[in-house]
Amino acid sequence: MRALRTAAISAAAIMMIPATTAIAQNVQPIEYTLDNGMKFLLMPRDEQPNVITAGWIAPVGSANERPGITGVSHLLEHLLFKGTDSIGTSDASLDQEYRDQLTDIREQMRAYALDVQYARMYKGEIDNPWDPANDTDELREMRSEMTRIQDLQSKITIKNEFDSIYTGNGGSGMNAGTSNDFTVFYINIPSNKLELWSWMESDRLMDPSMRELDAERFVVIEERRQRLEATATGKLDEQFDSMFWVASPYNWPVIGWMSDLMAYTEAEIFEYFETYYQPANLTGVIVGDFEISEAKQLIESYFGRIENKRPKAQPLVTHSVPLLGELRFAGECDCQDQVEVRYRSVPFGHPDEAVFDVMSDLLNGRTGRLYKALVEEQGIAVSAGASHRSMNYAGSFSFNASPKNNTELAQLEEAWYAELDRLKTEPVSDRELQKVKNGQAADTFRGLQDNSSLFFQLAITEGYGGFEYLNEHPKRIAAVTAEDIMRVANEYLRSDARAVASYLRKDSGEVVMITLEDVKASLPEEMAAMVYPQIEMQAASIELETDAEGLKTAMAEMDEQAGMMPPQLKTAFAFMKQQMQKRIDELESGDASTEKTDETTENGGDE
Amino acid sequence: MRSFFTTTCTALIIGAGSMTTAADIPGHPSDISFEELTFTPPVASEFRHELSNGVPVFMAASHEFPLVTITLSFKGGGYMVDADQAGLAGMTGAIIRTGGSSTMTPSQLDEEFDFMAANASVSIGDRTANASINSLTSNLDETFALFMDMVLHPRFDSDRLEVLRGQQLEQIKTRDDDGLQIALREMGFLMWGEDHFEARQPTKASLEGITVEDMKALHARIFNPANLMVSVTGDFDQDEMLAFLDIAFQGWEFGEKSPAIPVPTHTFKPGVYYYEKDQPQVQVLIGHRGKTRDDPNSVKVEVMNQILGGSGFTSRITNSVRTREGLAYTAGSMMRSNVEYPGIFMSYFFTKTPTAALATRLVFDEFNTIQQETASTEEIETIQNNLIETFPRTFESKGAMMNMFMSDERTARPSDHWQTYRDRVRDVSADDIQQAANDYLHTDDMVILVVGPWEGVKAGNADSEADEARIATMNEFFDGKATEIPQRDPETLKPIKSKN
Repeated sequence: MRALRTAAISAAAIMMIPATTAIAQNVQPIEYTLDNGMKFLLMPRDEQPNVITAGWIAPVGSANERPGITGVSHLLEHLLFKGTDSIGTSDASLDQEYRDQLTDIREQMRAYALDVQYARMYKGEIDNPWDPANDTDELREMRSEMTRIQDLQSKITIKNEFDSIYTGNGGSGMNAGTSNDFTVFYINIPSNKLELWSWMESDRLMDPSMRELDAERFVVIEERRQRLEATATGKLDEQFDSMFWVASPYNWPVIGWMSDLMAYTEAEIFEYFETYYQPANLTGVIVGDFEISEAKQLIESYFGRIENKRPKAQPLVTHSVPLLGELRFAGECDCQDQVEVRYRSVPFGHPDEAVFDVMSDLLNGRTGRLYKALVEEQGIAVSAGASHRSMNYAGSFSFNASPKNNTELAQLEEAWYAELDRLKTEPVSDRELQKVKNGQAADTFRGLQDNSSLFFQLAITEGYGGFEYLNEHPKRIAAVTAEDIMRVANEYLRSDARAVASYLRKDSGEVVMITLEDVKASLPEEMAAMVYPQIEMQAASIELETDAEGLKTAMAEMDEQAGMMPPQLKTAFAFMKQQMQKRIDELESGDASTEKTDETTENGGDE
Repeated sequence: MRSFFTTTCTALIIGAGSMTTAADIPGHPSDISFEELTFTPPVASEFRHELSNGVPVFMAASHEFPLVTITLSFKGGGYMVDADQAGLAGMTGAIIRTGGSSTMTPSQLDEEFDFMAANASVSIGDRTANASINSLTSNLDETFALFMDMVLHPRFDSDRLEVLRGQQLEQIKTRDDDGLQIALREMGFLMWGEDHFEARQPTKASLEGITVEDMKALHARIFNPANLMVSVTGDFDQDEMLAFLDIAFQGWEFGEKSPAIPVPTHTFKPGVYYYEKDQPQVQVLIGHRGKTRDDPNSVKVEVMNQILGGSGFTSRITNSVRTREGLAYTAGSMMRSNVEYPGIFMSYFFTKTPTAALATRLVFDEFNTIQQETASTEEIETIQNNLIETFPRTFESKGAMMNMFMSDERTARPSDHWQTYRDRVRDVSADDIQQAANDYLHTDDMVILVVGPWEGVKAGNADSEADEARIATMNEFFDGKATEIPQRDPETLKPIKSKN
């Protein structure tokens, strides 16, 4: 059907004989570079007719930021959907006036916040200098003025026009993502809409308006809350990451610190955009049902218009410093107990990267070493795994696990160190190594089966330096030896250069009252007949007790005996202590005669 | 086999493209003209075959990669399980996959699959159960034999069962850790009742009570050819595959068909409900029971919901709550349809405590506007064009297409559904949309469910809002009445009382 297409994915599978699979993949997109330096990878594919996945990647992410503007890469990603002079407004010049007015008032508010509100915070008068609830009268007036201008601007704003145009033309899955190292924009479009894509993307790269900056700032703050602060482990993860990366620019979150999110100026955002989104810094990727000649023409006409406005961005100067000891982080959250042991590994494309990938596969899955040892044999974990991530400038390798029942996290940690010792001292068997390599080889195919995953692999590897990685990495995996694994485990996974995070479920402060029925249910049948009537009797006598000191002594004695108590009596024991404490409280508050009632809410309503 | 789509799609006209130069770049995308893209939806019957025992097989080959996927799909699932055995269906699916087969222990079987790089999965959902294998073509004979032995003769290994039970018991302890999970659970309880399979949740007691006998019985009821359809995609030859499956299924006895799906009897009570949780962001769900999939007005309601909140940034709720006011990152609405009985309509957003009331007001404003005013032609056309132009994507992945055809046949979807879909979308008028909004949205009968710190949510944003017109409290809704949903013990889901 498309004889002239020359981009190709070729796969050669050699029949599997018991101990070997050899599969080679070769992904060969057409490379096309414009005079302004913008590069394109074109990958026509027949398998999914009528559709294209298209997008582009900028090799810029939070690692390129600095304190004060952390998260700006991500906010900028949002703002690039806000239109241009041509898209998103019915009156570009009036819109510019409003934007200028908003810039003025924003600068005033920022200056005021950094001066007055920060000083109030440092004096302990307010908790958060940016929270509108802490506004002074002056600040509230400025905020009100800002709202007034925004409402005027809103009248000439064509709501979400950037999205509507794509939507009305059959675009779907439009989105973008920002990481520590890159920012990527993408959409699925019908095959006949490549010109629309070229128009829309080149337009926003030439002339972004950064319209609705202040509302979008709050959207991103809500995103931060949704993805991070309101999740079980988000806030702790953020701090652990920060601790782990020490001096490296990976030590702040991609979404940015909350204080910085409130503070960016329009000028900072434009400067960042002009520095990192020049055409010479970008790569476009098109995958799917299209003609190469047509695509080249469109690219040339539309993206060829964009000019480089600044010199090439400076490479990153600060790199990470090695860990010089063991770092420990212990936190509490509304979460499952869990432990992570994390080590520095290697950057993307480093010769040892493939060894780490093989090592984590050896450890993962139901046939992996961690499940077998920690979940099945020792029965101390409900889950256990390893993960490896190489980024542009550094990498990390982690062990993580959640305990079964009340296993101590320290025990999981020890079990990992035992497994790690095996990796360091015993060569892995041929069969085990081959199993991992077979899985890796088949998975490389699985990852190329649809347009969008092919798009992401091309774009992201390109963001990390070159798509050729897709063809080279499988070869490196195939070449990993048992000796490599021992060497890498010894060299990188060291007890004097690691970080350990332990999260424990927070005591909610809500005391779940144990009832006599709970006690009854907790007792094994053969014990219940004998023990339960005694407990019932003792509970009744506690209610009549009038000597608080006597109860305290009895409780202290119970604590001393706790170690000898059979596990079946745990609930009964806790129940007795609960009842005693309750009685002590009543006696000491002088409230002993009246039964405390639960408060009902004032809105009790109609149940 | 390579030319499937040249027979099912009439044409792919992608022109060479007119020469475009910088000088004649249009000023606005609406000035670009596009070559027409024609697409004829594939017809299920062209992919449908039958095995000699009558089991339907939907097949679509492609030879890009040396991989084959075979999925066995059975009617049957959680709806067949009693309420006090909640969790049985999911556990049974998991243990079929992880508990070994007649010839192999669990770890032997896992080792074999992993070594041969085959991905096998088994799951039992609410309504259907699926067993699927993705294998290299070169060793499909071996992997499929192992797979069929596992599906037909699972070992239900007791050690693996206890591992699984342990995981589930830990899992349910985390049930109140995530606000959205709480919100969806409680909304389910309010809409369907706590015992209907749509809503019910496993508890410590139900998980601890599940026995191997229960699992064997459920497996036998569901996993028999009377409930079976098969789909095959990837690198294979059609005739060889049919013969291959005929042999593989030889001797597999038909049992009873799975029963009909029970209709919920619960009726919900409109009002404001809240579940107390100390968290920096509040989840709000606003909704009521919706419509059935084959409702005669389905397409009209779909277009209405897309305009209201179902089409991302283009829709009104997203635009007002997120883009204009900056109150949420996620905001929108969905109209979930069920085949057997009405599903749920639900609007949702997540925002900080003080602005939950304001965002709720904005959502109700949008309900009222779409009921009282006709939508603009531009707005309607945007949605119609989107539904029509993204229509081919429904058939983009052969695996998804085969699964859809199986589901359509199982649920007796009208056979011309896909053929006429785009015309039905095109025919929706502004009046239809307004009518649908009035007939299918009941603003007085909504449940407003809030998970978060209630006192703050109720009080609203007077402290932090500079604009009078934007100050809102929860007293605006249902005369300020609200019902507290008692805190639940995550393991038993029974109400617990806090100490104070």
